[in-house]
Amino acid sequence: MLNLTLWAAESGQILAAGSSDDDSGGLGLVFLLSGFVFYSAIYFRYRNSDKRHGHESETEATMVNMQEHDEFVKARKGLSNRRMSGANNTAVRGASNKFSTGIMSKFKL
Amino acid sequence: MPMDAVEPETPPPATTDDAPRVINTDDGAKDGLAKCARCGATEISLNVATGHLRCGFCRFEWSTDNAIEAFNLNGDISKLTGLLVGSGSSDIVPSTDEILTFKCSACGAEVVIDTNTSTQARCHWCRNTLSMNQQVPNGAVPDMILPFKVEKSTAVEKIAHFVGKRKFFAHPTFRAEFNAENVMGVYLPYMVVDINAHAKLSGQGEHQTRSYTVKVGDSTQQRYDADLYNVAREFDIHVNDLTVESSSDRLDQNTAVNSNNIINTIMPFDVENSVRYDSNYLAGFTSERRDSNLDQLAPLAHTQAEDITRHRVNDTLKFYDRGVRWAAEEVDVRGQRWVSAYLPVWLYSYQQRKSNGKTFLHYVAVNARTGETMGSIPLHQSKLLIVSGIVQLVGTVIGLVLVAVGI
Ligand SMILES: [Zn+2]
Ligand SMILES: [Zn+2]
Repeated sequence: MLNLTLWAAESGQILAAGSSDDDSGGLGLVFLLSGFVFYSAIYFRYRNSDKRHGHESETEATMVNMQEHDEFVKARKGLSNRRMSGANNTAVRGASNKFSTGIMSKFKL
Repeated sequence: MPMDAVEPETPPPATTDDAPRVINTDDGAKDGLAKCARCGATEISLNVATGHLRCGFCRFEWSTDNAIEAFNLNGDISKLTGLLVGSGSSDIVPSTDEILTFKCSACGAEVVIDTNTSTQARCHWCRNTLSMNQQVPNGAVPDMILPFKVEKSTAVEKIAHFVGKRKFFAHPTFRAEFNAENVMGVYLPYMVVDINAHAKLSGQGEHQTRSYTVKVGDSTQQRYDADLYNVAREFDIHVNDLTVESSSDRLDQNTAVNSNNIINTIMPFDVENSVRYDSNYLAGFTSERRDSNLDQLAPLAHTQAEDITRHRVNDTLKFYDRGVRWAAEEVDVRGQRWVSAYLPVWLYSYQQRKSNGKTFLHYVAVNARTGETMGSIPLHQSKLLIVSGIVQLVGTVIGLVLVAVGI
């Protein structure tokens, strides 16, 4: 039962996030999914199962002796994604709450 | 541990290989009756308002030394090499007792201390308090302790407020049984880690040069042009006071079966204000014993240090507004310093009995230094499903209308 609710909550999040950034019919879609969206919003507000300590940003760290290398390769045209495909410079792998960095993290850009 | 350019006054002797060097943190620590220096009473506890220990009999107050200064833990992280470990962080020897017996020096009776929940106990015969301050290899006495700073009354208010805003869909049994006054003050076990590492990252990044729309059939779509670059960064990184749970129970944060993630969320703590361990800080509170060793915690700490490195280097990657795809990431740990600590948490716990016979332990936790509050509230599932259904019904009607008119 719990797995089912988690699945429902996750699906709600996916659908909610998926409908937030497209350009046509978005508002109508949000209403068609309103039950899911409402369920997951309340679920996470009460249970907070998506929360964790942000060790990657909340831990003090300093960088020294920086060496930078940046080399132009080529220009790319007509890309359909706003983000670079496979970009992983904001990845988090050391969270104990795997749920918070699994499916949830895709909506925290 | 601030990174002043302060070197340890007595650098630990260099040893061969990667044998850990030990920082002795229980020099002079004594077990038994800890007496007030002024009147000799053993009725000593933390005065949360001042952060000092106070004699319950004559009201004399005093404090113990800041642990970071006492143990020279503020040495420059860039100078850190090899493995440096507090004596209270040493490996747990499985044969070491968790229940320890001490002889009361006031009356001669035997007093039992259960180190799973405290390092103090009261003598049943003469009512004196016995403390355990010497480290034995069972994880009970840490290198340092961060005293409670948030008063119980404040914690009760915060918890009541948090729950108060989540009443409508809360389970009716929880609503009936909730009482914020049942909050417990508990010192939970953590490891605090400083890391000196050398990082090398290489991959590719993209910088957006143009954003425009194109016609595809009879709809318009967004398109982007971008410049692709080869990107590399090489640097030293000094991670200060990375804090990880050191109890296997608390490290298990599978949110389908527990709510330990709630306690994880209220980090960070101001661990730099920790003091030398003294069991008197535990009077009126409980504690949880550390049961995990450095070997078990190092992979997690190192993965987190890699996360910190990856996020910190983004400061130098602002040009790559479409992101960077690292193909290789090397974070080579050259030096690390581990100390164990008890950190203070106000914890409200609620055991939910589900209809299928299973139980689920919900927490509302308050960081007893910063006041940060987080919690898990049992849901009234059927009520939420019914209301969601109604929302869906109304939403479907509006949605169909909107889709029909093409918004
Ligand atoms: Zn006194
Ligand atoms: Zn006695």
